[in-house]
Amino acid sequence: MKNKTTRFLSASIIIIFVLCVAVFSYLAYYMNRQSAETINEVGTIYMTGMSERISIHFRTTIELRLSQVDALVKTCPPEAYRGTEKKEFLIYNAKARDFDYLALCSKEGTFEMLYGDQISVTDPEPFFTSLSHNEKKVAVATDSKGNSLILLAVPALYMMNSGETSAALVAGIPSDYIKNLLALDEDNTLMYSHIIRKDGSFVIRSGDAYRENYFDRIRGFYDDDQLDHGEQCVEELAFAMENNQNYSNVLEIGDERRHIYCARLPFSEWYLVTIMPYGVLNDTMGQLNRQWGNMVILSCSLILFALLFVFVRYFQMTRQQLRDLEEARLAAVEASKAKSEFLSNMSHDIRTPMNAIVGMTAIATANIDNTKQVQNCLRKITLSSKNLLGLINDVLDMSKIESGKMTLNVDQVSLREVMESIVNIVQPQIKMKKQQFEVTIRDISEENVCCDSVRLNQILLNLLSNAIKFTAEGGRIRVDMYQELSPKGEEFIRNHIRVEDTGIGMSPEFKEKIFDSFTREDRTRVRKTEGTGLGMAITKYIVDAMEGTIEVQSEQGKGTEFHVILDMEKAAVHEMDMVLPLWNMLVVDDDQILCESTVSSLKEIGVDADWALDGESALEMVKKNHRTSKEYQIILLDWKLPGIDGIETARRINNSLKGEIPIILISAYDWNDIETEARAAGISGFIAKPLFKSTLFYGLRQYMDAVESVTEKPKEADKILEGAHILLAEDNELNWEIASELLSELGLQLDWAENGRICVDMFKQSPAGYYSAVLMDIRMPEMTGYEAARAIRALVREDADIPIIAMTADAFAEDIKRCLDCGMNAHVAKPIDVREVARLLEKYMK
Amino acid sequence: MSLNECYTALEGNFDDVLGRLRSEKLVQKFVLKFLNDGSYDLLCRSLESGDYQEAFRASHTIKGVCQNLSFTKLYASSNKLTEALRSGWSEEAGPLVEEVKKDYQQTIGAIQELQKEAGA
Repeated sequence: MKNKTTRFLSASIIIIFVLCVAVFSYLAYYMNRQSAETINEVGTIYMTGMSERISIHFRTTIELRLSQVDALVKTCPPEAYRGTEKKEFLIYNAKARDFDYLALCSKEGTFEMLYGDQISVTDPEPFFTSLSHNEKKVAVATDSKGNSLILLAVPALYMMNSGETSAALVAGIPSDYIKNLLALDEDNTLMYSHIIRKDGSFVIRSGDAYRENYFDRIRGFYDDDQLDHGEQCVEELAFAMENNQNYSNVLEIGDERRHIYCARLPFSEWYLVTIMPYGVLNDTMGQLNRQWGNMVILSCSLILFALLFVFVRYFQMTRQQLRDLEEARLAAVEASKAKSEFLSNMSHDIRTPMNAIVGMTAIATANIDNTKQVQNCLRKITLSSKNLLGLINDVLDMSKIESGKMTLNVDQVSLREVMESIVNIVQPQIKMKKQQFEVTIRDISEENVCCDSVRLNQILLNLLSNAIKFTAEGGRIRVDMYQELSPKGEEFIRNHIRVEDTGIGMSPEFKEKIFDSFTREDRTRVRKTEGTGLGMAITKYIVDAMEGTIEVQSEQGKGTEFHVILDMEKAAVHEMDMVLPLWNMLVVDDDQILCESTVSSLKEIGVDADWALDGESALEMVKKNHRTSKEYQIILLDWKLPGIDGIETARRINNSLKGEIPIILISAYDWNDIETEARAAGISGFIAKPLFKSTLFYGLRQYMDAVESVTEKPKEADKILEGAHILLAEDNELNWEIASELLSELGLQLDWAENGRICVDMFKQSPAGYYSAVLMDIRMPEMTGYEAARAIRALVREDADIPIIAMTADAFAEDIKRCLDCGMNAHVAKPIDVREVARLLEKYMK
Repeated sequence: MSLNECYTALEGNFDDVLGRLRSEKLVQKFVLKFLNDGSYDLLCRSLESGDYQEAFRASHTIKGVCQNLSFTKLYASSNKLTEALRSGWSEEAGPLVEEVKKDYQQTIGAIQELQKEAGA
C-alpha cells in the first residue's frame, strides 16, 4: 500500500516534470522562431522602403543631370554648332554645370572629346546600343588616372571634327558625386548600399568592399564548409536580376546576420543592393530571447516547485493518516485484549469467593450442631460475600459509566461527616495492617458544600483502600485536605485532597495507564492482591464528572501520591453560631500545619490557643502558665508524638497539676483501642481527626461544664451575679418557678412580671440601676416580649440600655434575629440552661 | 410509682431533667405543679371560641413547660401544634389537637398516679 502510493507519486512527479520542461522548451523555441521571422519581415519592409527611396533619389538625380545635358544641347543647338567659337560656348556652359567631362559620341562609338581626360567606357555595348536607339543613357567609365566617372548621354546631332554626325552628347560626373548624393556610404546609419551590374561587378562600391564583383564578395563571406549557402544566394540573386525582380534575403554569416535587398535602377543596367547588418538587432533579439529563456526557466521551476510542494505535503498527510490509523488499530487491539484478560481474571476472582461461600455453606450444613464451627463458617461467608459484592459493584459501576448512565446526585454535604465516615471505615483495615495513619485538614473555610456525597466517598475510599492495599505493614498513609479560592467564582470553593502512602509505588508505564479501564499492574506482587482494576477508572470518571482533576505521582518502591482537585459549590446553609467560652487552650501535635490550622479554627469559635510540637515542650508550657492568668483550661493532645507519646504526656501533666485540667486526646485511630489506657492516664475524652471547626466545637462543648467547675472562674463570676436584681418576664407560673428555682442558686434576686406590660411598668417604677438585667419570654399575653423590649429601649432612663436576654422555646434563626432587631442583647433557648444564662448575664452585666 | 417510673409512663426523659434541675425533689415538685398549670385549659377554651392566636400562645406555653420538664412526648405533639397554629388555623391543626389532648391525658394520668403515691 505504502510502496504503491510512493511509486505512483514519484512516477507522477517525473511525468509532470518532463511534460513541464517539454512544453516550456517548445514554447521558448517557437517564440524565438516567431520573433526571428517577424524581425525578417520588418527588415524586408523597411529595406524595401529604403531602397525605393534611394532608387527615386537616383532617378531624380540622374534626370536632373540628364536635363542639364539636354539644356546644353538646347542652348547650343546643333545647327549653330559650327566652328571653334560655338564649341567654346558649349564647353563653357558644361563647366558651369559642374561636369568633369564632355564629349560627342558617334554611332560607331568614337568620342570627340571636348574637355576632360581620355576615358574608356567600362561596359560599352549596352551603352552604344541605347545610343543608336536615340535613348538617354547612363554608363560608367574610367579615365586615364583610374577615376570612375558616370557618363550621361543625351541624343544630339552635332557635326564632329571627323565630319560625321554625332549621335549623342556625353557628359561626365565623378561617381563619388553619386555615391555621396545617394548617401550610399553613410557612416551614421546601419545600412549601406552598392550599385552593381547583372554580372555582379560593382558600379559603385561603398563600405569595406574591396572585391571587383559583388558575387565574389558574397561567396567570400562564407567559410569553405558553407560555400553552398553563398552559391545558392548568388544564384538566387542572379536569377532575380535576370527577371527584373526585387530580391530580399537574410544571410547568416558566422554568428552575424545581414539582410540584403536588391532592386533595379532606372536609366541603366544597374541594380541597387542595400545591406543591413543585424548585429545590433541581433543583440537586442538575443537579449530578448535570453530574457524569454530565463522567464521560461523561472516559471517552469516555479510551477515545478509548487507541484513538488503539493505532492510532498499530500504524501506526508497520507503517511500521517496511515500512521494514525495504525495507532487506532493498535489501541483497539490493546483494549480488546485488556477486556478479555479482564474477563478471564474476573471469572477467576468471582469464582474464588463464590466457591468459598458454597464450600463454607456446605461445611456449616454438615456441622449444624457445632455452633463454633458454624460461626466460623458464617464469618468466612460474610467476608467472601463482601469481597464478591465489592467486585460486582465495581463491574456494575463500570458498565454504568461505559454506557454513560452514571449521573451525579448533588446535595448538601458536610465535609466533616464525609471525612469522619471515611476515617471510620478505613480504621479497621489500617489497624489490621498496623499502618501509621494521619489525617490533616487546614484552611477549611466551608465545611458544607454541594456535592454527591456517595461518589465523593467512593473517590476517597478507592484512593485510601488502594493506599492501604499496596502499602506494606508498618507503612505510612496520610490524607491531607485543604481549601482555597476557586477560579470558578465566589459561589465555589476549591478542595484539595491528597492521599499519600509509602507503598510499593508504580512503574512509569503503569502510571500512564492507571486510569484506563481493566488494567492492573502485571507484577507478581500485585497478582496476590484482589480487586477488579476498575477502581481507578471509576475514580477518574467520577472526578471528571465533577469537573475536577486527579493527578498521580509515584515511584516504584517509594510510594504513591494522589492529588484530587474539586471545585464545589458552597452550600447555602445557615451555620449555627458556634461560640465557646473564652478559654485558653493548648494544642499538641507533631504536625505544625495541623497545629496552626487548629489554632486558627479555635480562634474562630472564640478560643485562644497555643501549640506545641512535642510532649516535653507541652509539659513545660503547662507548668509555666499554671496558676497564672494564662492558665490552660483544656489541652488537646495527639496520641502519636515524637519522644514521649500522648498518653505519657497526659500522665505527667496530671501528675504535676493533680488532674485539674481536662486533657482530650486527638487522633485518627480508633478510640476504642486506646480508651482504657487513656482513661487510666487521666485523659478525659477524645476527638477524632480531622479537626474541622465543627468537630472542635461539638467535641469541646461538653467540657464547658467540667471547665467551669474545675477552674476558679465561676467564683469570680458568682461575685458579679451575687445579689443582682433580675427582672424575669414569664406568663406561665410553672416556667417562672423553675427559672426562679434554678437562677436563685446563682445568688440572683428575681422579680416576676407576668407579661410584657407588667414587666415594662415594673422596670419604669424601679429606681435607676436597680435591675441588672431582664430575662424576657417572648410569647406572652397583652404584650409580647418583642414589644416589651422595644418599650424598655424607648424609655428615657439612664439604664434603658439594660441587658435584655430573650428566653423562648423557638430557636429558629429568624426568631433570634427578630429578638436582636427589637433591641435585645442575646437569646437563650428553652429549656433553661443555668450555665448558659449565667454566662450571658456575666457577659452583658457591668 | 417512683418519679423515674412516672417519666417512663409519660414518655419523658428523666435523665435530662435531672441533669438540669439536679435534684429529684425539685423535679418532683415541678412535675406535680404541672397538674395546676392552666395552659391546657386555655388552649381548649380558645380553640372552642375560635381565638387561634391565643390558642397558639397556649400551645407555645405548653411546649415551653414540656421542654423545661423534659416531657418529650407531649413536647413533640405540642411543638407540631404550635407550628400548625403559628399563622392561624390550618388543616393539619385538627388531628394535632387530638394528638396533644391524648398525650396530655397520658401525661396527666402518669402524674396523678405519682401524686397519689406521694400524697399517700
